[in-house]
Amino acid sequence: MNMMNRTLSRKLLRSMCGISNPRLSFAQSAVNTVQGQKELIKSRELEKDELRPLYMDFQATTPMDPRVLDAMLPFQVNYYGNPHSRTHAYGWESESAVEKARKQVADLIGADPREIVFTSGATESNNMSIKGVARFYKAKKNHIITTQTEHKCVLDSCRIMEAEGFDVTYLPVKNNGLIDLKQLEETIRPDTSLVSIMTVNNEIGVKQPIKEIGHLCRSKNVFFHTDAAQAVGKIPVNVNDWKVDLMSISGHKIYGPKGVGALYVKRRPRVRIEPLLNGGGQERGLRSGTVPTPLAVGFGAACEIAQQELEYDYKRVTVLANRLVQKIMSEIPDVVMNGDPDQRYPGCINLSFAYVEGESLLMALKDVALSSGSACTSASLEPSYVLRAIGADEDLAHSSIRFGIGRFTTEEEVDFTVEKCIQQVKRLREMSPLWEMVQEGIDIKSIKWTQH
Amino acid sequence: MAASTAVRAAVSFTQKFVRVSPDCSACPLYRLNLCTGATDGFTAPNRHLRTSIGVCQSADSSSPEEDERVVNVVYIDRSGQRIPVQARVGENVLYLAHKHGIELEGACEASLACSTCHVYVSSEHYEKLPEPEEREDDMLDMAPMLQENSRLGCQIILTPELDGMELTLPKVTRNFYVDGHVPKPH
Repeated sequence: MNMMNRTLSRKLLRSMCGISNPRLSFAQSAVNTVQGQKELIKSRELEKDELRPLYMDFQATTPMDPRVLDAMLPFQVNYYGNPHSRTHAYGWESESAVEKARKQVADLIGADPREIVFTSGATESNNMSIKGVARFYKAKKNHIITTQTEHKCVLDSCRIMEAEGFDVTYLPVKNNGLIDLKQLEETIRPDTSLVSIMTVNNEIGVKQPIKEIGHLCRSKNVFFHTDAAQAVGKIPVNVNDWKVDLMSISGHKIYGPKGVGALYVKRRPRVRIEPLLNGGGQERGLRSGTVPTPLAVGFGAACEIAQQELEYDYKRVTVLANRLVQKIMSEIPDVVMNGDPDQRYPGCINLSFAYVEGESLLMALKDVALSSGSACTSASLEPSYVLRAIGADEDLAHSSIRFGIGRFTTEEEVDFTVEKCIQQVKRLREMSPLWEMVQEGIDIKSIKWTQH
Repeated sequence: MAASTAVRAAVSFTQKFVRVSPDCSACPLYRLNLCTGATDGFTAPNRHLRTSIGVCQSADSSSPEEDERVVNVVYIDRSGQRIPVQARVGENVLYLAHKHGIELEGACEASLACSTCHVYVSSEHYEKLPEPEEREDDMLDMAPMLQENSRLGCQIILTPELDGMELTLPKVTRNFYVDGHVPKPH
């Protein structure tokens, strides 16, 4: 295999003979280094009959529903026109497909199709809302309100706004993860332009009282943005009932394609945004750039399927989630569920196993794909800021695991996960000195640890 | 009906080629007191006008009733130059600009199909304008460099309370004239 690679690369280099000498030698040396590095780091491929791990991380991303793939394929190879081409049938058919997808997305959230703007994902939608609204109204309004448990893209956008001179308040949350409505009301000032609070949290699954927040913001004439990436298609959403002005939606969280999302922008009363992407004025001038027809069509199909199957999926996920939680909690003591037990989306369960380190449990559960905290924080070493915000102790924050249950999770998968989890937690606790001390009756909190 | 169309055609025809302000005393409609005084400058009259009389306008009139109908408006063009303009009640901001050679392009001729006549209205007068209709808002969405006090110039009809209004032209429109090209008014 390596030999083949080397000869292949030499053939490629020979075919590039047209380029000037310094570049050729550079390319050659680059290939050689890569080859050398390949031999140092052995990639871990699955063994011959080894099965892939079970997927229990539905908050990170979801597999694409085969029906969505069916809807997308014709637009990849056959109906490949640019939807903004006005002059020929390729353009017209692509445009009508995009408009159909727009209607499907709008129907899922109870909006008008003209209020949907296709973006590259919920991160872009969040950036557009926060930066766009703040910058547009900055002449008179200077204050933004958000919470401490928001997604990183919202928090980072707010930090950038702070650097630009805006005033940002990061509201704390209660121990159950919900915000305090009275505190929100007191924080709103006459110069507040935007309140941004996510509908369902991606780490602990907590569902905020969006309808009450929406009514409060409308009464105070403040724009209300919600990041509904984890909520759309999973719980019933209605932007008019909830009085939401801006809503971010993500494609790959609802069994759709990755790389597409949408932003709902209310038309009456009109919300104005300063666009992030300037250009030919596509998507109402708010997001210039060619709308990716296959992705948009897939997204629309995913939304339609989600609308039809919402109730069935919700019931099924609830049953599976209850099964998981009850089984684990009945077998092992000292397990804490993070977040409010009632105001939540059942498919996102965050459990903290005391006296067990989260990373070690994740590695022990190698047959199940899980995460501790969100995918975007997995590269950094800090424990989740969401768990810190809900007041979880440092040690509990380090030992938290997030179980995600979705449309394609089976009962057998849940049972297998539970069994493995119980087994590994017991094993790790046997090895844990802290657990020993607790069994002997020592209060861990009273210990003074010395520095080395 | 035919007579009025003929008069309108004649007057606008003359204006296109001769470029003089029309002399109302020569117009049969003025003499017959059928002139509504709705003034649009040189271009085709606003489609929403009920009687298609069109373009009767007096250059230097000094009758007392007409002083009340004078509205002073200031245009601030792209280079920052202030151009004060005297106008009449009922005049359209877009055609007023054309009449005075201000570079406000109205590509769709006031039919709410573009955003090239986008202007910033001085904040004190912004509130005095009527609420934009949905079609205007839709077109305004497409205009680059939108601000809170943005409106489409072709939809602003002057009223006495808009006296002293300042209209600033934005630096760019949706049409890309990066080469410095200035479109001629239609």
